[in-house]
Amino acid sequence: MSGFFGFDTSLPERGAQNQGKPQQQQGFSGFQVPGTNDAFALGGAGEEEDLAVYTWGESTGGGLLEGGDEMNDETFGDDLGGITNNFQFSSQPAPQPSKGYGQSTATGKIASTQSRYKPKAAYDPFAFSEDDFYSSRPSKKSTTTKAPARPKPSTAQSGSVENLWNKPAVSSPAWGTAPSAMTRPTPPSSASLPSQGPPAPGHIKSLEEIEAEMAQMAMPSTSSAAPTQQKVFSLEEIERQMMEQTVEPPRQATPQQPLPPREATPTQVPGLAASGYSSQQALLDSMFPELGKGVPASGLGQGTPSFVSDQTGSHEPPRPSPEELARMEELHQRITAKIESMAKYNNLMGSSDKDFITRIQLSQLATADPYVSDFYAQVFSALKRSRMISEGQGENPTVVQVGAGLGLGVGGPVGNRFGKMGQNTMTKLSTQVKKLVENRAQHQKVANTAALQGALGRVTRGNAAAPRPVLAIPTSNKPENRPTSHLNEQTGIHRAALTKKQIMFALEELYDAILELEQMRRDAPPPTAMEEIELWHNRCQAKVDIIWRRLMVMEPLDISNPHPFISLINPIKGQKLFPRLLRHLPQNQTITLLSLLVATYTQLDVVARAPPPPVADSSLLTKADRLDRAKREAETDNFLQFVIPGVDMIVNRCGLGLVAGMLAISAQRSEVWRVAATRPGIALYTALLSKAQSVIRTPIPDPMNPQQSQPVDPAELDQWTKTFTYFLHVLLPHLPDLFPSSLAQKAAFGPGAYLLGGENPLAEREGLEMEKREAEVWGFVAVLAVNAQEEDQTALVGALREKILHTVQAARHPSTTKERAEMKLRNVNMFLNGLGLDASMIE
Amino acid sequence: MDEAANSGISEPLDLVKLSLGERVFIKLRGDRTITGILHAYDAHMNVVLSQVEETIHLVDVTEDGNPLPPRVERRNVEMLFVRGDGVILVRN
Repeated sequence: MSGFFGFDTSLPERGAQNQGKPQQQQGFSGFQVPGTNDAFALGGAGEEEDLAVYTWGESTGGGLLEGGDEMNDETFGDDLGGITNNFQFSSQPAPQPSKGYGQSTATGKIASTQSRYKPKAAYDPFAFSEDDFYSSRPSKKSTTTKAPARPKPSTAQSGSVENLWNKPAVSSPAWGTAPSAMTRPTPPSSASLPSQGPPAPGHIKSLEEIEAEMAQMAMPSTSSAAPTQQKVFSLEEIERQMMEQTVEPPRQATPQQPLPPREATPTQVPGLAASGYSSQQALLDSMFPELGKGVPASGLGQGTPSFVSDQTGSHEPPRPSPEELARMEELHQRITAKIESMAKYNNLMGSSDKDFITRIQLSQLATADPYVSDFYAQVFSALKRSRMISEGQGENPTVVQVGAGLGLGVGGPVGNRFGKMGQNTMTKLSTQVKKLVENRAQHQKVANTAALQGALGRVTRGNAAAPRPVLAIPTSNKPENRPTSHLNEQTGIHRAALTKKQIMFALEELYDAILELEQMRRDAPPPTAMEEIELWHNRCQAKVDIIWRRLMVMEPLDISNPHPFISLINPIKGQKLFPRLLRHLPQNQTITLLSLLVATYTQLDVVARAPPPPVADSSLLTKADRLDRAKREAETDNFLQFVIPGVDMIVNRCGLGLVAGMLAISAQRSEVWRVAATRPGIALYTALLSKAQSVIRTPIPDPMNPQQSQPVDPAELDQWTKTFTYFLHVLLPHLPDLFPSSLAQKAAFGPGAYLLGGENPLAEREGLEMEKREAEVWGFVAVLAVNAQEEDQTALVGALREKILHTVQAARHPSTTKERAEMKLRNVNMFLNGLGLDASMIE
Repeated sequence: MDEAANSGISEPLDLVKLSLGERVFIKLRGDRTITGILHAYDAHMNVVLSQVEETIHLVDVTEDGNPLPPRVERRNVEMLFVRGDGVILVRN
């Protein structure tokens, strides 16, 4: 077909002669080419007379019986066996290509992926690509057809649909211009010049070509004998024609002359012939197995018509007997019927097709590590599963787990995800997927990921065998050899603080490490395997060490401001990491971490840049201001939500000595009233003080818990008392200023000062929020009171006297809503009750 | 000074990775911008954002074809999937 476009330009004198005829000849080349060519050569008159072309019986028989057999040895370089083999329907034109590949690719006609893969020896239902799949199909044909004419059966059959898609040079121009190509015999390529190959895909037709094409399109309607046959052309037939035509041009151009010897060698035939056809043939075989056996059809005759015609062109073929002709006719009808019956399945997917698609899809999901590659889906399905179980829906395996550590990336409830497939199917699928995953893993080892490093990142070339990963994050396995893992390359006692980029990078590294560690913990070996557990522990420990180094806790305290570790927990991302980190760190490390945190508490964003006290009217703020406030509030909230619980946990593990030490560090290194004026500061001190109190107040050993029953060391107690007294005295003058309401009052100016605390109903919600924050501070002073000696308690009450009175009065004020009044009283009582007093005692 | 951080950054998307969990500003085709907290992204720059504020810049045209002064429309979305083909730039 494609050769057609070379027609006029290359051989004008022949073109004029051939324009009408060869199209009709070629039209039947699907299974009649040998015959037509025979007739053509035999009669000689055929050149002038169209009718001669249609002497089907004679020519078919002659061609098939004589020509095909005679030259088969030469053609295939092997003994072809009996005559009947020529009619083997299911045998393919495949034999040639196996040798032809080298040449055909050399000429650049064919884009085949086949050469990339080694031929597979055995049938592999879990073939990775379609190539593999069909190449490894069991050679059912080889047993049924007895045609030994396959030098390398596996490679010969391994053409793929891909090939079809990859050769627009052959198909696309014709499909595009001749819409009826499916039902119409394809035009001949006879006139194509030997020197000129098929046109390139982007070939632009010349005027003559278009003319010729139009003339040719008009032709089929004139051919009267053809219609019945024309209809039955299936896709394969047409494909085959196309293939033949790409082969034939040199010969068609000089049909009467003896061929150059090299033309007759099978190696000359491009592998094109098999590429598309064989896969379809395999598919057909799978759909209609009886076809291959039942019809001893003219597969070879079809597949290699050109050889037949070429070789017999100069001979006088013997005439077949009438019986033979009748037999041939019958045979032919059967073939026609068969093809017709098959044709109605054109464009439909066979079961093997569906299988193959399923396999492709599954192979995309298959992963060596379902948790890592689709963590959220796994967690989601786990949640869903637990819900289903609690609803009593039974326990079905929902994650398609394949062996140890293999599985589908996405799990889900069986019933929903896989429709009506039963449990049996599911297990079958599992085994299939297992093989698939193994196959894939093997493939990935072999296939090198061709990645071109460029300025714009990496360009990965995807193909069916190695689909492009959606997100190619390079996993470098470089050993960590950073000097104490500091990101800054500076040396010296003082360094610049980490830049934002460095912080974010370090955090991502930490997240990666944490995820790996968590995955590692999930993959715990069974408790029986002692050595494995040992190994596993070591690996986990190594990972924890890496994390610990990356946290940079052990950097000197004054190395930078903020300290690298503080830099890490300043962003919300880092704060969220904190509780996950603590879970893995051993206790001594967590305590070191807490010491550092307490010592550098002032460097925390949430302390150093604590959200300013609220203003009465937010309309006074600019937009940037509002955003900034919102951001700081969010950071503070997150800090209280993620970091403080961890801090509480660590503090709870500390003894009195440690708590005293931490308080001392804090008191030494920071202005405690500044820290205490922030919510995180209040939370930290409250945790420390209440822990100390609970240690001091439990002299009675708990018989159930001997761990807790150590008596308080008098030295520690003494140290604690001293530290606390110092702490309290530093804090005392600033005590009233710790309350958010006081701070707000102080910060307010202008009309805001009057609005604040006024009777604005809209402010009620903010007021309640304010009370909640006040409660935190009241709780803190209550702990102070509990810890304080008696004389200090008096001082405490003295310092807070005004605040207490003010609050109680505000609670009793008629304009205060009941809810808020209750909160206020509760807050005050929190403190007063610790001293054995109550708000009701206040006049 | 940035060497250690830069050594782990080999392609543009690595920078986007650093913004995971942070509020990002994304400029979109069709005169839209959005800010939101970045939760996920892929090679196509499909992104998932939360707490999104979308800003659309509009120029209305009168019947006789005269443009009115540009106006801005805003809307907030709790959680948003943005298809990557509309993304022009991502800024931290």
